[in-house]
Amino acid sequence: MMKSKAGWTHRSLMLLLMIYLLIPLIGTFMYGFAKQWQTTVLPESWTLEWVLEMFKDLRFLDALWTSFYLCAVSVALSLAVMLPAVFVITVYLPKWETFMKGVVVLPYAVPGVVAAVGLIRTYSSGPIDITGTAYILVGAYFVVILPYMYQGIRNSLLTVSAPELLNSAEMLGASRMRAFATVILPNIWPGVMISTLLSFSVLFGEFVLTNMLVGGHIQTIQVYLYQRVNESGHLASAIAVTYFLFILVLSTVLMKLGKKFNGEAGR
Amino acid sequence: MNASYLELQGIRKTFGGSIVLDNVDLSIQEGELVTLLGPSGCGKSTLLRCIAGLTEPDGGRILLGRKDIASLPPRNREVGMVFQSYALFPNLTVYGNIEYGLKMRGVDKAERQRRCEELLALVDLEEKRGAYPQQLSGGQQQRVALARSLAVQPKVLLLDEPLSALDAKIRKNLRSEIRDIQKKLNMTTIFVTHDQEEALTLSDRICIMNNGHIVQDGTPETLYSRPRTEFVARFMGSYNVLTHAEAVRLFGDDIGRAESYALRPESVRLLAGFGEHGFSESVGGRIVEGTIDSVSVLGNVIRYSVMANGVRLTIDMLNDGRTFRTETSGAVRLALNPSQLLQLEKEGA
Amino acid sequence: MKHNKRWMLLGLAPFVFMVLAFQLTPILTMLTGSVSKSGGGFTFGYYDKIFHSAFYLQAIKNSLLIAVYSSAIGLIVGLVCAYSITRFAPRIRDRLLMLSNMTSNFAGVPLAFAYIILLGNNGVFTLLFKQWGWDVFAGFNLYSWSGLVLVYVYFQVPLALLLLYPSFYGIRDQWREAAALLGARPWQFWRTVGLPMLTPAIFGTLGILFANAMGAYATAYALVGGNYNLLAIRIGSLVAGDVVNQPEMGSALAVLLALSTLLAVYLNHRMSKRSERFTASYVSGSSEKRGRGGRKRAWLAAKEEAGA
Repeated sequence: MMKSKAGWTHRSLMLLLMIYLLIPLIGTFMYGFAKQWQTTVLPESWTLEWVLEMFKDLRFLDALWTSFYLCAVSVALSLAVMLPAVFVITVYLPKWETFMKGVVVLPYAVPGVVAAVGLIRTYSSGPIDITGTAYILVGAYFVVILPYMYQGIRNSLLTVSAPELLNSAEMLGASRMRAFATVILPNIWPGVMISTLLSFSVLFGEFVLTNMLVGGHIQTIQVYLYQRVNESGHLASAIAVTYFLFILVLSTVLMKLGKKFNGEAGR
Repeated sequence: MNASYLELQGIRKTFGGSIVLDNVDLSIQEGELVTLLGPSGCGKSTLLRCIAGLTEPDGGRILLGRKDIASLPPRNREVGMVFQSYALFPNLTVYGNIEYGLKMRGVDKAERQRRCEELLALVDLEEKRGAYPQQLSGGQQQRVALARSLAVQPKVLLLDEPLSALDAKIRKNLRSEIRDIQKKLNMTTIFVTHDQEEALTLSDRICIMNNGHIVQDGTPETLYSRPRTEFVARFMGSYNVLTHAEAVRLFGDDIGRAESYALRPESVRLLAGFGEHGFSESVGGRIVEGTIDSVSVLGNVIRYSVMANGVRLTIDMLNDGRTFRTETSGAVRLALNPSQLLQLEKEGA
Repeated sequence: MKHNKRWMLLGLAPFVFMVLAFQLTPILTMLTGSVSKSGGGFTFGYYDKIFHSAFYLQAIKNSLLIAVYSSAIGLIVGLVCAYSITRFAPRIRDRLLMLSNMTSNFAGVPLAFAYIILLGNNGVFTLLFKQWGWDVFAGFNLYSWSGLVLVYVYFQVPLALLLLYPSFYGIRDQWREAAALLGARPWQFWRTVGLPMLTPAIFGTLGILFANAMGAYATAYALVGGNYNLLAIRIGSLVAGDVVNQPEMGSALAVLLALSTLLAVYLNHRMSKRSERFTASYVSGSSEKRGRGGRKRAWLAAKEEAGA
């Protein structure tokens, strides 16, 4: 029936919560554009100096590019590996799903710092010495986004009822490969796209593994930010704001896509 | 007659600008079972919720046993309610659910136990006392809900479409069970439903509601045989509703000045062909010629759709083997009895 | 049929390779590393050392305490706020949830940094309070225990909120109404029906929050560096530190950390199973919605762990 409107207790509680959650964000934002900010509630004067300096800084642009590049490569690799694997398991080997769930839940349960220890122990010596290279990082990233990719692809396959689709395509005379490429892929694409973007944004914010595995050798945006924190607060603020705006845009796109996809699937 | 036990005076309620209850008056005797019958959105559930205190009316008085309860919170109203969706507490057993109200009222343990056993016996669920709601069927859950609201001995019991979520067969059984319990406890009860058959079989009195008004109230017999308005006629059964012009074509000029008329489908008799039956069968009646359009068998009744003098009529005849089918002949004679033609009042009058 | 099998193997092989190489082997190496002597052979010596070292025990204790405190505070605040959010109209509710979701992205280094700007030694608020003469905050030090708890709570609250709010929709308005008619006051309803119905969700969320805080590295690392003795930080410096590398010791500590988080995640798993059984037939009408909520729950949880 009709729901009563939220009373003033709820309103003020939510207001407090939002203030609490937003103050660090707004503070960083203002600091990035502040010229003088001491002993006043709001900055005394504003400037674009820091943002301009940031874009002039080659190391920043380098780090941004590195992050982009590494995340894109990892997500692409994950897509190439996961699409066929999840397809085979969901459609032909549903018995393996319990096993898969175990594999997929591990990255949830094992913190990044623990995963890093294992990876360093395995690859810092002996026949395969790849610590400090991009290879180990891409491998680690693959594991980090495993749950998102698996869930995303699996749910998309189930939503479009892939087994039935495949059967009907094959009955109409399409080869299995062809059926996969022409019937399954286009149908699951929107759902897969969402988990791809989500994975990308997760990797963009990754710090633990990056810092521990390749910190001294490869600088991603997070590692770069960490190093600049102790130098200039204003500059670091500008970087943090840029980073956050990027994530914001990404998650907005994500939400829009998700709404669209769910809306269509619901019909 | 003794004074009414529950009395509603001028209950008004609007939701977002639209009027849901428009000055509703209603009085109910102690021990009476009154049904609020109407289509969805007519305000019947809102009226029930106003009595329970779950919805606050914009105006009006609610007197229960001469006490105005309109300003009391639900827990102090001594009103019990059963919801369509049962609303049992899933974390409590059957026993725990029935005991709940007694516990909240601080009744001591021995007394609680005595009451619960009594009620478990009343709704015939003694062997299910330890079960959780999700382990019961819909009908059993609703019986628990009934026992739960009776446990605190409310002055009025409100039933909000309690049978709508159940299968047809369970619905009929539980219907008579509710009526038996109600009579046994002499419980003043308001029953809300949109099912006119349910209302007819269950009630001492029916109030038909439409657009926030009670449009007619009376015993099931009166409501069925003397609908006052077109809305009631259509809602109570498969009445033929005729305009003045249509009625004149069938019955002649001598029928009064009403705008519309109702004719019960079983009050018209069909006479096969010409001269098959004696004219004496419809003494005092009028004979009109017509053609049968379609026939459908509804068990013990056969329903004909007949066109006579340009008016389409629905006619019910007992399925007693003497009736005829369309294939025998499309042409038919109708015996009409003018005394069965009911004049209807204008809507809202 | 034979062709079919080969085709499936081809599809699975790269996946199996990646999981073996980057997930299972490292975990196994870590496990064996934590119990093997540097010269070869089996030993529990590292664990023995940990449990006899005041330093490592303190790290474990600090981590556990910070995880317990921040989870408990995050849970309580999240619980109250989640309830509050359900009282709003859907439009405003979605906005609020979006904002919370947005801030849950704000973790790790940028979060620590934001707090340094605001409340650090030369933070805007620190100076402001000093100027105004508010000495309530004089004892507060961002780079200590209280500062860490404050920052941890910040990323726990939105997570708790987003995990808990769907379960409030499992509490039907009609239960509340039925209880009111049976004579229960609102607090009595929550004690007897509302909270018991929420219990599985509460413990499940607690598990996720605890694991999240135990494993959090970036935030603490950026805030206090090596200056505060936390398990995750200790592991990091033992394995990839600049001073001394003691990978075996790091492995043993990592195994202990993983045990605690695995346990917490297992608790979450058990509780969500239980709540499913509890309400299975009850919310059958909204089963699809629940399914989506469950998925979101898992996704969010993973997201937090990767970020923080």
